[in-house]
Amino acid sequence: MSQVTAGRPEIPGGQPVQPPALELRDISKSYPGTRALSGVSFTLRRNQMLGLVGENGAGKSTLLSIINGTVRPDTGTIAINGEAVGFGHPTEAARRGVATVFQEQGLIPTIPVFENIFLGREEKFSVAGALRRRAMIAEARAVLDELEIDVSPTALTGTLSFGQRQLVEIAKAFALARVYPVEPIILLDEPTSALSDHEAAKLFDGIKRWRARASFVLVSHRLADVFAACDELVALKDGQVVDQRPVDSIDETGLHELIVGRQRNAEYYREASQREPGERIVLSARNISKPGHLRGVSLDLREGEILGVAGVLGSGKSTLAKIVAGAEAPSEGEVSVGDNTLRRGSRRDAIRHGIGFVPAERSIAGIIGTDTIDWNLTLPNLKQIGLGLLGLISPSRSRALTAEWIRRLRVRAPGPNVACRTLSGGNQQKVVFAKWLARGVNILVLDDPGRGLDVGAKEDIYALMRDIAEKGGAVLLVSDNLPELIGLSNRIMVLRNGQVSAMIDAPKHAKPREVDVVSAML
Amino acid sequence: MAAQPASAAKATPDIDLRTIILPIVAIVVLIAYFTWVNPLFFSSANALNIGRQSSVLLMVALAGTIVILIGSIDLSVGALVTLTGILVALSVDRFGVLGATLVGVGVGGFVGLVNGLLVTQLKVPSFLVTLGMLSVLSGVANQISQGQSILFMDSTLPDLVNGSYVLGVPNVIWFALLSTAILTIVAFRTKLGRYLYALGGGEIVASHAGVPVTFYKVLAFVLSGAICGLAGVMLTGQVGAGTPTAGSSLLLNSIAAVVMGGTALSGGIGGPHRTFLGVLVIAILTNGMDVTEVNSFTQDIVKGFVIILAVSLTIDRSKYAFIK
Repeated sequence: MSQVTAGRPEIPGGQPVQPPALELRDISKSYPGTRALSGVSFTLRRNQMLGLVGENGAGKSTLLSIINGTVRPDTGTIAINGEAVGFGHPTEAARRGVATVFQEQGLIPTIPVFENIFLGREEKFSVAGALRRRAMIAEARAVLDELEIDVSPTALTGTLSFGQRQLVEIAKAFALARVYPVEPIILLDEPTSALSDHEAAKLFDGIKRWRARASFVLVSHRLADVFAACDELVALKDGQVVDQRPVDSIDETGLHELIVGRQRNAEYYREASQREPGERIVLSARNISKPGHLRGVSLDLREGEILGVAGVLGSGKSTLAKIVAGAEAPSEGEVSVGDNTLRRGSRRDAIRHGIGFVPAERSIAGIIGTDTIDWNLTLPNLKQIGLGLLGLISPSRSRALTAEWIRRLRVRAPGPNVACRTLSGGNQQKVVFAKWLARGVNILVLDDPGRGLDVGAKEDIYALMRDIAEKGGAVLLVSDNLPELIGLSNRIMVLRNGQVSAMIDAPKHAKPREVDVVSAML
Repeated sequence: MAAQPASAAKATPDIDLRTIILPIVAIVVLIAYFTWVNPLFFSSANALNIGRQSSVLLMVALAGTIVILIGSIDLSVGALVTLTGILVALSVDRFGVLGATLVGVGVGGFVGLVNGLLVTQLKVPSFLVTLGMLSVLSGVANQISQGQSILFMDSTLPDLVNGSYVLGVPNVIWFALLSTAILTIVAFRTKLGRYLYALGGGEIVASHAGVPVTFYKVLAFVLSGAICGLAGVMLTGQVGAGTPTAGSSLLLNSIAAVVMGGTALSGGIGGPHRTFLGVLVIAILTNGMDVTEVNSFTQDIVKGFVIILAVSLTIDRSKYAFIK
């Protein structure tokens, strides 16, 4: 970790040193049930590009929100250009030149570019309440020209391409910094996620030019971005900085290991209880294709097997999970259970054949937050609790079923009638599992089941998966988390650009190394 | 009116107790105030009055609740009551009470089906579909009636609706109460009910759980329409004629009642039992202002403010990303 300095240090007998553009020291932030950041310190030197890398949930977004003032840290200090700042409000951050280029863009599509550039700071152009439109356009054009951004200030923002809008956001940051005037610190949050390679290259070219007049922090899933654009990188893991180092001192595989590289703990993944899969194939997928996502992917899932699916973001692994579970229809190929070919894209048919699905986006696809545990758990199980002449649901049977699963999966909740949105992520996830286990499914499709969960909850869920496999159930485990995949799976299928790039065996006493999996992913 | 109808309020997805206490507090406060101004307000005769005046509103609000529960909205309810009311008046002499009821409920259900299909198949937001339908239905109702009340000879229907067969309480009140009870049971004790809540609370979750989403969405609109048809029958029986303006105040009052009761416009929270309370608030407020001789223009102003106040206190803001 680099030396953290405060104030304006002097080299003995030498010139005053330029203070760093941004300096974070001991930043911690907790949310109910999770510690998002603990003791994070790093330094962004002036006119540098710093890459912030880490897994989902490592704390990157929280850190950006703290720097741009939308989230107040519990402890710690931030200094900008050597001056301590008391953040907690976006306008103070803005006044210091901090600007964020968001993943989900912060521009209003229905107004022209120049209005977006000066949005919220029109007072400079205001004469008795009316805006001097021409002056605004002229200044916007000056900013755009200076940055060599080829966009007309009067163009309607919504008509621009995504890449162009991103450039406008950057121009906005420069225009903002000009007002105060300070040198901008621009936070780029996944800027290339929606760009073509060509557009991304153009963006980074621009940044190289603009770096003489600004400092950047880049958050990106694409490690290639970090290598293309950054001088230094800070690796975050579980809310802590694991390393800050120059980019040219590490390669892509090394970086990946740095990000995911917690020691794989055989105990944690219950490796000792990993069983040999049976002979019987319970589910098979043949030649699954979906334009832009998957090309000719086939797989066989045996009884008692946990089949892992690895791949980088955009490799098609999530789409594969949805297709196997019937939540999305493939354009070609079929999924079959036993001798039955399932109807494409029909969850109903998949459920009838015993396929449970735990989706990645828990809050919109897994759990109904406004409903109780009882109602969530019984949603696909109403037949079990229907009773009496008119087939009316029996509230007592419903509650009993739910109470039983709360107990079995050790869901921490006061009772079956608690609204699910009041539960922690781990307990919500257990409810999603319970929903399917209560139905007696023998195949589970899991998309990143550990996402956002704390260690304890993950452990419970891993134990659950082992239990399912032990009883002859089969699990398709899609995950971003390599140690998890390696620790839990019998075999790991690696996807790259929508195709199977490797099938790696992972028997319990001869687990593959992360590098082996990573090299097939990249 | 009678106590809160049937069934397991315990197992409902209500989280915020405030949303159920508020309408009850409002009811108590309103009753106390109006009784203080005019003691005649607090009498069994006036209680029956309130019931008579709000039975049709309760039916319409129940219809609206079903659609609001799934997170959509049905703005055509009032106009549909008007139209079916006119059709009932036109058909009761020829087909009898049962036939006319079938006409009302059938047409109501059919209009609901059209609404539901437009929403789910053409993917037009329910707000716009049913706003258009409101205009269409009003136009058709005026076309048929030529703006005149439609009289009929039959006396069975008015007798059936206005008569008091049980405990001296007018039948129209019993119909509305029975409907509330049945729908409350449907909401909490049937697959249909659970699915409606699931659709409103999380459509993707529901579809992943194997709920045939489109079918149940359309069904919600069909039910809403059919109940409005029934309300049309009751209204025509009560008035003794089909009138082209009868349903005009129903839309606004019913939505106000639904929301005041605590059913969230975003869907998934609330239910028929809650709407019952909301209707009671509106009914008591309206009747109380009549009894205390507040003029009708002032009544609208007061009612408007009360609705805004009540809704601002009861809505669950965590469900709204933006307040628009």
